[in-house]
Amino acid sequence: MTLAQALGLVRRRERPIRDRRMFIACGFELLHLGTFLQGYFVRRFPDEAADLETGLYGDLEGSLAAAVGSGAEAAAVIIEWSDLDSRLGLRSAGGWGLSVQPDILANCRGRFARLLPRLEALASKMPVALVPPTLPVPLLGHSAGWQAGSNELELERQLAAFLADAARLARVSVLSTARLDKLSPVASRLDALMELKAGFPYSLAHASVLAGQIVQMLFPPSPMKGLITDLDETLWSGIVGEVGARAVSWSLSEHSQVHGLYQQLLRHFSEIGVLLAIASKNELATAQEALRREDLYIPAQAFYPVRADWGPKSRHVGDILRIWNIGADSVVFVDDSAMELDEVRAAFPSMTCLQFPKRHPSKALELFEELRDLFGKPAVHLEDALRSAGIRASGAFHAAAQQADSGEFVRGLRGRVTFDFHKSAANPRLLELINKTNQFNLNGVRLSEGEWIRHLEDQDGFVMGVSYEDRFGPLGIVGVMAGRQAGDRLEVTSWVLSCRAFSRRIELHMLEFVFRRLNPAAVRLDFRPTARNQPLQQFLQSIGPLENGAPLLLSREQFYNRLDDLPHEVRIQEDV
Amino acid sequence: MSDIPSRVAACFTNVFPDLAEADVTRASQASLPQWDSVAHVTLLSAIAEEFGIELDEEAFESLASYLLILDFVEGRLGQA
Repeated sequence: MTLAQALGLVRRRERPIRDRRMFIACGFELLHLGTFLQGYFVRRFPDEAADLETGLYGDLEGSLAAAVGSGAEAAAVIIEWSDLDSRLGLRSAGGWGLSVQPDILANCRGRFARLLPRLEALASKMPVALVPPTLPVPLLGHSAGWQAGSNELELERQLAAFLADAARLARVSVLSTARLDKLSPVASRLDALMELKAGFPYSLAHASVLAGQIVQMLFPPSPMKGLITDLDETLWSGIVGEVGARAVSWSLSEHSQVHGLYQQLLRHFSEIGVLLAIASKNELATAQEALRREDLYIPAQAFYPVRADWGPKSRHVGDILRIWNIGADSVVFVDDSAMELDEVRAAFPSMTCLQFPKRHPSKALELFEELRDLFGKPAVHLEDALRSAGIRASGAFHAAAQQADSGEFVRGLRGRVTFDFHKSAANPRLLELINKTNQFNLNGVRLSEGEWIRHLEDQDGFVMGVSYEDRFGPLGIVGVMAGRQAGDRLEVTSWVLSCRAFSRRIELHMLEFVFRRLNPAAVRLDFRPTARNQPLQQFLQSIGPLENGAPLLLSREQFYNRLDDLPHEVRIQEDV
Repeated sequence: MSDIPSRVAACFTNVFPDLAEADVTRASQASLPQWDSVAHVTLLSAIAEEFGIELDEEAFESLASYLLILDFVEGRLGQA
């Protein structure tokens, strides 16, 4: 993004739907970095605007303290060497000679030690993007430029230790300098004229890249949920139907290591809860024979379902989406054939279709990086490990459900719902569910982490998480209801239930439990129809009249008059 | 290049959205209250970006009006 484009984006907005407040803690003048931050923000959220707050010039620690009490919903903390010791900046005359270097190092050590608790205090209030110094260390050291001096390296060591500690703090994301190095060459980051004349150290190009990365960190896109892969020339090298299961390969010695790397990447994905499936043009028995090979780097059971025959791939993909019960826009399809990719893309335009570049290791690595960006998540939860098993259990669940009366079947599940009213930001699963659930979703409203923390701090606010398990296995936390009490009425602003938990009447249990536990005379549901929340709409129609776009007011009497059966055992978290 | 004046003017209206196009050619740091130190840095950076030219300290201090900036750009691009 150029400065002109950023200015255009910022000026263009007339009346944003909502203003989002961000605090930028840095020791330099914000100048173009602020413009770029607003520009990237508006590009990401076209109907919204970012209001930026900042602290005093040259006072990073003071800015951090101000940020804590700012009420902003997110913060970026941008450190440069001069914030650690002003002698490391171009605007200082303190010198960095050999005689003062021990003092500079001691000063930096003390500064890092003070920054960490301030960072922790800030992260208790809002998500924080932490940017380590991105400019080169100034002219420190007695060696020629091609040799790293010991004091420079000591400074780097202090920084690395600080960043490692900071990265372990909840809600702190540390900028990847490896990624930044690819996007913004180190040699062209400093604008010495601007630093000396205006107190702004970055070149326009660097400020633009940095702002883009900060917005990504503070408002990350939802990770993709599932990956469907081809087999021949993708999961392995060779055509299994022609050469046989023993002859397909994925090893260094057989010049097919990129397929082995791909398998390792998929194994990693399965461990972080990504759904994996196979769509292949092969005889199913042939494909399964190769998938049973013990030297595969990913166990065959990591893939569910496996679809292989000679029909069009789009049919396989459609079957897989139905079994997973997720939208095409949350899924990536990987195949070596451009023709197959086109066929699937035509059937599912919102699906991300990527070509596997067989025999091109460097392009394969680019694909792996792209996949990491699409599926990467800030933290891995217990539910991520349960997801794949839950989908399998769901297949068995639906097969069993078809053979029985639905009421009788649900009662026979021996289900147990567990409610948790703790308002703790330490459980990121609740916010994650609100932000990624589409079908049973009251209004489709997504919340930032900062807005969620504000809600948790609201004395009248409530949050109810629900976990579920039955004879088909545990599903983990599957639902969230949130809102606030207003007199004798309960205002529900968020209500989601994972699609994995449909058809079990958990939603009925949730509504009944808030009536019972919080005892309102009525519940007002802030319902809004979306393109994908038909399951929620159907449920609302079953319990009361539904007017599109209007909040639904449900009295205690209305609800209990319509309530016929609650099939599951109920617990609350304190009892467990 | 004949479009240099219009490109310089576009930088002005981008940085000063309230400035009428007819007033751009008369704009100066003295006549435009919005032309403060932040706007000065933004305007000169936008000019440098638009024309791919590097500023020096003298230019930074002296370019205080549309006409001076236009002269400077045309001189740098060898179009004067």
